[in-house]
Amino acid sequence: MKEMIYQTVCPGCNIGCGLYVRENEEGTLAVDFMKSSSANLGKLCRFGMKLPYHYSKATSMVDGKEADIETAVKAASDKLKGAKNMAMLAVGATTNEEHLAFTKIADALGIVVNTGIGAYEEIPSECHSSISQGIPLDDIEKASRIALFIDPYVQYPLLVRRLLAAKKNGATIVSLACQDLNLADENVSVNPADYKTELGLDDNSMIITDVHPHTDPEQVKNLLNLALMTGAKIMFMKPFVDSTGVHLFGKTAGQMGLQEIMDGINDGSIKTLVTLNSDLLELMPNTDEAAKTLEKLDNLIVMTSRDSPVNEMANIVIATEPLYAKAGSFMNVEGQVLNNSGESTVGIDAMSTLSQNLGGEASDFQTIHNKMMESVLQKYTAPKYSELECKVMETAAPSEDGGNLVSVYNPFMWCDQTDDNDFVIVNMTMVDKLGLRKGGMISLTSDAGSVNMRYTVRDIPDGLILTMKKLPVITGNTTEVKAEAV
Amino acid sequence: MVEVGDMLVGYATDENIRSRGASGGLVTAVLAAALEKGLVENVVVMKHINEFEAVPIITDDVEEVLASTGSLHSVPVNLAKYAMGRKVAMPAKPCDAQAVIEQGKRGMIDLDNTYVVGLNCGGSMHPVTTKKMLIEMYDIDPEDVVGEDIEKGKLIFKTKNGEEKAIAIDELEEAGFGRRESCRFCTLKIPVNADLACGNWGVIGDLAGSATFCQVMNEKGAKLLGNAIDAGRIEVQPASDKAIAIRAKVNSVMEDLGNTLEKEIFPDIPDEERMQYYMEQMEDCIDCGACKEVCPVCACGDDAKCTMFHSLVDNYKMSMYHMVRLLHLSDSCIGCGQCSDVCPSDIPITLLQSRFAIPSQRRRDYKPGMNLDTPPFFEVMLK
Amino acid sequence: MTEEEWTPKIVAFCCNWCSYGGADTAGMGRFQQPASTRVIRVMCSGRIDPLHVFNAFLEGADAVLVTGCHIGDCHYVNGNEKTQVKYEFLEEMLLQLGLEPDRLHLNWISASEGERFANFINDVTAKVKELGPSPLKPAGVR
Repeated sequence: MKEMIYQTVCPGCNIGCGLYVRENEEGTLAVDFMKSSSANLGKLCRFGMKLPYHYSKATSMVDGKEADIETAVKAASDKLKGAKNMAMLAVGATTNEEHLAFTKIADALGIVVNTGIGAYEEIPSECHSSISQGIPLDDIEKASRIALFIDPYVQYPLLVRRLLAAKKNGATIVSLACQDLNLADENVSVNPADYKTELGLDDNSMIITDVHPHTDPEQVKNLLNLALMTGAKIMFMKPFVDSTGVHLFGKTAGQMGLQEIMDGINDGSIKTLVTLNSDLLELMPNTDEAAKTLEKLDNLIVMTSRDSPVNEMANIVIATEPLYAKAGSFMNVEGQVLNNSGESTVGIDAMSTLSQNLGGEASDFQTIHNKMMESVLQKYTAPKYSELECKVMETAAPSEDGGNLVSVYNPFMWCDQTDDNDFVIVNMTMVDKLGLRKGGMISLTSDAGSVNMRYTVRDIPDGLILTMKKLPVITGNTTEVKAEAV
Repeated sequence: MVEVGDMLVGYATDENIRSRGASGGLVTAVLAAALEKGLVENVVVMKHINEFEAVPIITDDVEEVLASTGSLHSVPVNLAKYAMGRKVAMPAKPCDAQAVIEQGKRGMIDLDNTYVVGLNCGGSMHPVTTKKMLIEMYDIDPEDVVGEDIEKGKLIFKTKNGEEKAIAIDELEEAGFGRRESCRFCTLKIPVNADLACGNWGVIGDLAGSATFCQVMNEKGAKLLGNAIDAGRIEVQPASDKAIAIRAKVNSVMEDLGNTLEKEIFPDIPDEERMQYYMEQMEDCIDCGACKEVCPVCACGDDAKCTMFHSLVDNYKMSMYHMVRLLHLSDSCIGCGQCSDVCPSDIPITLLQSRFAIPSQRRRDYKPGMNLDTPPFFEVMLK
Repeated sequence: MTEEEWTPKIVAFCCNWCSYGGADTAGMGRFQQPASTRVIRVMCSGRIDPLHVFNAFLEGADAVLVTGCHIGDCHYVNGNEKTQVKYEFLEEMLLQLGLEPDRLHLNWISASEGERFANFINDVTAKVKELGPSPLKPAGVR
């Protein structure tokens, strides 16, 4: 076999970085730079550089035994026929076309596909288009003032060059991220009620924040209000490769967030779960707890292009081709449709069969693709909404003998991939208070357990401990922990 | 009979290749002949994706060689890494050829079995910058472009409807477009370090635009060119004195420009400000490691000192990774610009690296990637 | 610690056969020298990788000394000649980086040259004291 070269898009986040995947004679993967890609000029972040580790081939399984994909699809049809208390989840970690084919299965079953972002339910639907509309990344470079509510270095690294370019063009950057940013002109901590008066934004400004499965809806509302009152553009970064696509093409009403799905499984209202490239063990903050919950399911049917931990637990795994080899497209945060060069439709064909077996419509790649492209051409409706009511956001004061462990969500964390991130970030005050020693460890204890971690020192607010990695002590976005020197 | 030192002008015999390939299709024909006659097992060529994008492929299919693109100024990739561990023939800009030789010194490329067809290079450009430039400076839709050339200090674009538009490179570069920064201070324009040094400089008279000037640099080059003649793929004739003089003239103009720009690009920084300067430049590094991965002279592989002794948990004022690389490449950096190209934080790494490498190499009267006479300095053999 | 009391931290790499002996002799002979020197013994100066020197600076050393046997006296034939090659590049690199030249030294010291070792340390300490703390010293390290 010859070397295969695929043009594809990095699945690390929704920026849509173009790249080549080279698969050599032995099946070894390497990434190569696609310098003509307008979103990233071929540049890749740490996650993109490690993609060969990310793309792992999944194997179809039925009840723990290896099976071919037809058998797995057949078994899934049998399980789903007449099943009750079903739920479906697809966060947008695959192509638009697969998502739409997955939606057809949901139609056949008379249910909706959840994209896992609970915040949508809390936010009035007239605001949804403001969240899902594409904003060109070039616009960042043109803004005169930028308010950052994310840490671009860790969370969305390809934004860094855009922000630096904006600065070169004369922009000032104010950061409200959890740690001081080198590129920011001002690193501030402002109460949401004072955003309007303190941040100095106007209609040449831009607000950059993100929306993901664990986003606090109150924060989204606050920022939508801020955008409304100041006239600033607001850009919502998103964590999965097709996050924008699934919100544009999917139904946003009647959605369940990840936590609601987990609650549903726990209280028995969900007995059968079908997922598409969405591993709840990776996506939920606490892996052990998520595993315990998923065990309560009668049926867990996993469709995936990746070998991930949930495959082990699933009753049925329908393994599709790796993401880079798929025929299909992604929609990035700019609202651009980015095409894969791959031509394989194994995943879509499997979903088509499944849909037909359940009495639903068949899916064929070209038809879905064409229909999707037609709907892209429809202009966005200009976002219109009026001021939203927000609750006062409370940040729990850290206890005397510990701190608040905050997760800095990043591509490695979303897919629980190993990286050189096996440490937490604390500030000098905490080092002094706990008597931490150089080269020593910090012990963190929460209700969920205890862990010893290496640490590094940065300028972050007092009482905060940051992690870029999933830790067994985490229970949510912020976890109150007891900290000690080891 | 082709001999080392020959200066020739030639073109492909196949009318199709001649009209489609750049400047008479000589390079394409030489590569195809090397593959056909079994001189090599594979050829590295650029597979055309569009006018602004091509991807290097390693092929044993003559058709793919013939279908490959001519010179694209807006696809700045270094090909050395694709030649590793194979018996190949490859086209090469001067910096590609330098990297091939540096890899050869480090035992990563078998130079005896690697045939390097050098191409004159006045500099390359970023595809996305080029598209922007076409819209803003040339008023041409990037989709309409069918060809490009650099001639007499001007960058020329040809469009579908046969029109040409030329703008002086100086003017473009002043407006923030034009060649990549690393190409501006480069002074190696004719690939005298390759096996054959080819290009359109010095192709005059009737042959202008439909033939290639070719200098045979060594035995391998003679074999490669002789092979293509024997295979009936190309025809050559000796270059006239006038042609040779014109080629040398173009080269010296380009060299002088490079030298002038070097002084502009590397202004002196006072001793006491340099540390601050380097720290500021590297502050936005996100530790992706792409600059090492893409480096065509790095032969360390995964177990490299720069990465193995660098950890994100370290709270150092300067990253160990960069310190090791600044030192490690001071004897081998060829200034190809690949690292700057792929940096997600737009750190001008090539410029930083060159500030260390250029003085270090000049002090030793050494230019990396020119020949095998001098080993890498860190591996200097002691008597 | 007040400004007056600051003494530079000096990391001295010494080879087992010569310069470490020199450091020993300096101690035995009770030559006065500051206590802020950290001696790291290696078998041969050829073992000292530029990486070790970087690490010393990044961890907070104010000066780093590379020492070994006199040329021709190496116990491993030519280890110190290799040191010399590496050191030349290292020195050029750190100078270009903007580090003051007085913070990095190469010196050949034999086992019997205790006084020479002590004088060398005293000289460097005095010079570095004038320069102040290294610009590479991490926050929180004194």
